Amino acid sequence: MEHAVREEQGNLIVSFQGDVDLEHSPKAREVLLGCVAKGQDVFVDLSEVSYIDSSGVASLVEAFQASKQKGTRFVLVAVNAAALRVLELARLDKVFTIHETLVEGIRGGT
Amino acid sequence: MVHAPGDKEPLAQNAASTIAAGEIESAFALLAEMTRGFAESLDLEATLEQALASIAKHLNAEAGSLWLLDLEREDLHCRASVGPNPIKGIHLPMTKGIIGRSVAENTCQCVFDVRTDPAFSTKADDESGMVTRSLLCAPMSFSDQRIGAIELINRRGGDGCFRERDVYPLQVLASSAALAIANNRMAASLVDAERARRELELAAEIQRNLLPAARPDPFPVQGLNIPARTVSGDFFDFISIADERIAFCLGDVSGKGIHAAMLMAKTASLYRCMVKTIPRPAELLRLLNDEICETATRGMFVTMAAGLYDPRTGAARIANAGHEPPVCHAEGRFSIVEAGAPPLGIVPGVEIPEAELDLRGGSLYIFSDGLTEAETKSGDPLGREGFEALVSKFADMPLVSRVEAIVDHVSQLTLKDDLTLLAVSDEARSR
Repeated sequence: MEHAVREEQGNLIVSFQGDVDLEHSPKAREVLLGCVAKGQDVFVDLSEVSYIDSSGVASLVEAFQASKQKGTRFVLVAVNAAALRVLELARLDKVFTIHETLVEGIRGGT
Repeated sequence: MVHAPGDKEPLAQNAASTIAAGEIESAFALLAEMTRGFAESLDLEATLEQALASIAKHLNAEAGSLWLLDLEREDLHCRASVGPNPIKGIHLPMTKGIIGRSVAENTCQCVFDVRTDPAFSTKADDESGMVTRSLLCAPMSFSDQRIGAIELINRRGGDGCFRERDVYPLQVLASSAALAIANNRMAASLVDAERARRELELAAEIQRNLLPAARPDPFPVQGLNIPARTVSGDFFDFISIADERIAFCLGDVSGKGIHAAMLMAKTASLYRCMVKTIPRPAELLRLLNDEICETATRGMFVTMAAGLYDPRTGAARIANAGHEPPVCHAEGRFSIVEAGAPPLGIVPGVEIPEAELDLRGGSLYIFSDGLTEAETKSGDPLGREGFEALVSKFADMPLVSRVEAIVDHVSQLTLKDDLTLLAVSDEARSR
């Protein structure tokens, strides 16, 4: 798994590439919590994530919960079809705010 | 004067060649005694004290000290000392002094006569109250690992100075001590690993006891769990309640390992306790969710399907919180029960819908994703289709053998996660 973080107009955009699985989820967790801790809105680009397992989802859940505490936004954008299926199957689409593109995510409220 | 241990430099060779036969014998005897002491003793501290005393005695030193690198503090820690001023317990920075240099450079440091060595500082003497006339310091290292050093001060008798021929025995003895310390550390880490393994096995045994005991046919509910590691993040349960109905569930905690196993134990215990008074699946999962949310940690969650089967009517009520859809196989057709709510432990206060099924003399299967994600020989996951093919293949078997046959078949594939299967059979009613 690779990752990149960039800042655009005060928002943090985190993108992951590859598998977010048991081996890589500790790194994903560290990156996501680090971004949320900065107090800015965080947008997670999952367009290049073909596989996410339950430990990867747990990293997203923890960062999402941390952002709620901080009162900032935590939005998943451009989620890859396979990863989206995992989230929808587990009804996690009811938990996370998910947008088809980054632009929509930034524009589209909570 | 500086030279590295193991190098074939003229000093050490000359020193070795000028040692008298009697001294070599006595050095060998000491080496044998030290090696035996290290091999027999589990108390490294006492053995180091003993070894240092023997080395100082053998080389007629007035005082000696043994220093180990303290990796946490990144300095040197005196673990044994002999002589008039005990210094055991004190710490020295790595960057200072003869000992620090000996360890840092992995070289012997020798000042045979301080009066002829202008670089020697008497500052340490001022602090210890001892007058240094001569000193030897040999590093202890093992493979690439720096361990520490042994320092000797002042030779007894004569001019009080060590000679070149004292260097070689000290190097040999320091190497032997280094080997013993490295062995001792390795043994200690093996003991720790063994203790952790035993504790994990105990945890696994306790976990197995949280699962219900198998019931022989024709009991209509059966389950099996195969952990991917020693402990499991999956669980299942079933229990007969007062009016002949049977409550059942299967859950899967996110992640793997001991943290998943602990949340599994909590959820399984809560289920078993609560189902006796609240058998309705949706209500039970709603309460479980709120309970788990209260102590949620690290984003961990539980996907769980719970149900209530009535063997008199074939009706089953199912609530599914984020779990892989259970599969119903009746009259040769398959249908699924999709999740109606997110997994437990994420959002408190969530309402969880309940589906009502008529098993129509067929069977209901609940399983963890370890089953559908098991990799076939082609490298593809088994998937729900692959699972349904197995159900069709073994459909005529009695329930206990059927569950075993399916799990046995799947466990031959490459498992990536805990594998758990629970089946509810309504077939007794159709016969």
